[in-house]
Amino acid sequence: MTEKRRSAVYRIAFIYSGAFALAVALLGVLVYVAAERALRGEQDLALGEATAALERSYRTEGYAGLIDAIGARGSTNGVVTFGYALFDASGRKVAGSFDLDLPPPGYSNVAFRDPIEGLDHARALTTRLDRNLSLVVGIDSQVLERLDRLILSLFAGVLVLILAIGAGGALVLGSYLRRRLDRISGTAQAIIAGDMRRRVPVSPRGDEFDQLGIALNLMLERIARLLDNLRQVSADVAHDLRTPLARLRAGLEAALSVDAPAAQRAAIAKAVEQADATLALFGGILRIVEVDAGDVRQGFVTVDLTALAEDLVDSYAPAVADKGRTLACDIAPGIAVPGDRELIAQAVINLLDNAQAHTPPGTAIRLTLRAEPGIARLEVADDGPGVAAADRARIVERFVRLDRSRAAHGHGLGLNLVDAIARAHGGTLAIEDAAPGLSAVLRLPRI
Amino acid sequence: MAARNTAPMHILLAEDDAETAALVERGLADAGHKVTHVADGDAAHRAGDAADFDLAVVDRMLPGVDGLEVVRRWRAAGIRVPVIMLTALGSIGDRVAGLEAGADDYLVKPFAFAELSARVGALLRRPPLAEAPTRFHVGDVTLDLLRREVRRGAREIRLQPREFGILEQLMRNAGRIVTRAMLLEEVWGFHFDPQTNIVESHLSRMRGKLNEGFDSDPIETLRGVGYRMRGGD
Repeated sequence: MTEKRRSAVYRIAFIYSGAFALAVALLGVLVYVAAERALRGEQDLALGEATAALERSYRTEGYAGLIDAIGARGSTNGVVTFGYALFDASGRKVAGSFDLDLPPPGYSNVAFRDPIEGLDHARALTTRLDRNLSLVVGIDSQVLERLDRLILSLFAGVLVLILAIGAGGALVLGSYLRRRLDRISGTAQAIIAGDMRRRVPVSPRGDEFDQLGIALNLMLERIARLLDNLRQVSADVAHDLRTPLARLRAGLEAALSVDAPAAQRAAIAKAVEQADATLALFGGILRIVEVDAGDVRQGFVTVDLTALAEDLVDSYAPAVADKGRTLACDIAPGIAVPGDRELIAQAVINLLDNAQAHTPPGTAIRLTLRAEPGIARLEVADDGPGVAAADRARIVERFVRLDRSRAAHGHGLGLNLVDAIARAHGGTLAIEDAAPGLSAVLRLPRI
Repeated sequence: MAARNTAPMHILLAEDDAETAALVERGLADAGHKVTHVADGDAAHRAGDAADFDLAVVDRMLPGVDGLEVVRRWRAAGIRVPVIMLTALGSIGDRVAGLEAGADDYLVKPFAFAELSARVGALLRRPPLAEAPTRFHVGDVTLDLLRREVRRGAREIRLQPREFGILEQLMRNAGRIVTRAMLLEEVWGFHFDPQTNIVESHLSRMRGKLNEGFDSDPIETLRGVGYRMRGGD
């Protein structure tokens, strides 16, 4: 029970049914008061009419006529019981079956002695017919009291019923909501316990809980992706940074053991070079992590992709020519994307770099920029040897180098960074067969 | 790097890592500069307030008041000393924050001392904006920024825009080293290392055009460091 008292769900359900019951009770009180008032008005009106009729009889037919009229009227008028009494000037009852003391003139609530029920209450109208005679007409309040009791018991019954239904409903609603929420917190508990694969069950109804579940599941997917990324980075760092650091260490150790200053200088220079390469690798990993984390989106502006592509081709063509390959371009005008200029530039440079690093001299590299519906499509294709279909998806992964030779260009991060940059911009990187050669297609949402 | 005919300058070094500080201090002293070293943000703030420095090298993560705040306070107080910020944080957002705080240059740790030295040289000699020259003469080479024109001796030399940009940077810093990273930043606007030879290939083309028909090369290559235009004022 304490658990139920703490539960917001039960508290809300109970407060709601309690408020509803209170409203019904208030309605009961209002009906009771209004009915009482209306009935009392009716009663007084009936008393007034009876008194007026008897007074008329007295005025026209005298005392005997009055007695006859009282007798003729009888004691009942439908369901209402009338009582009549006549008093003389001294207050003594002289006629009538209504057994009571003379009340003050006008309307009043009086007590009378009922021959069967004993002391009872009635509503009475006292009128002075002349100096010696007062007429009292009364109506037994019994009917009214019975009606009042009926209204009260009716509402009390309804109130109890409502409280019962409300409490029952609150319990049912509460346990239903608890069950739905338990599924969500159950998932959370499982994840806290380490089962990152658990997801909130979602029913096909698509109600508020399902929408919450869907949102939470999307959030969990994102977190899982980031965690995977982190795990991947840790593994990468462990594997790929140890190797150059081990080489660096071995080189320095060897330098310590030689005496010739020239040899030492050379070893140190080589060590500095290796340290720089290691730092560059580390910087590359950090850059991918930064792009993957998505913070870069805050710095997005409108980038004129047409101008940037032309600029990059101009900047890159001499370097490509120096390495004995050619770079041609086909760039459509007026294409702009929301993004980070430097990141997009880096992505395109990596694609160009990749195209020239893994092809033989004499290869023709072609950069094409086209507008597709809603998309800017930037393709870097070469007519080199290409990549086997099985390896095409793999080369985007981190640290994957197809040519395992030590002298291989780069550290296997280039395409992975392009992929991360594409995703940060809401786009994609696809590696396709250019037949012959390889084609890397960068698709970015266009303005 | 030997000191090259630069007048001794007073440099404030705010760096809490003793080893880095010692290396930088010695390097700058070797180049003929007078260095005042402080190790925390409050001391850096006070020192910048108290004395006129020609340049400040400020670590971003100083104990006490951090480097960003130190520079922000100097700028708020109207202290216009050129600032190079050093940082272990290399992300795009961090660099923007550093420049927005009022730093003139931003260098990510770890860096080669030659890189810092080149940037110190460039900042120390940077003329105020109002008197920025539009023509440069170094030896027999003339570069006119307004007419986008380069001459060597009497001959006009036609350069591509990027080649022109590289020569402009070298001539602005004539006699001093301009690193590859500085050229990438100034000419291409790239604050990352594209790991390719675009600087080298543009420079060699520009050099070829500049030297055609002459037997001296006014541009000196310092392997692994950068380039330097011989001569200068």
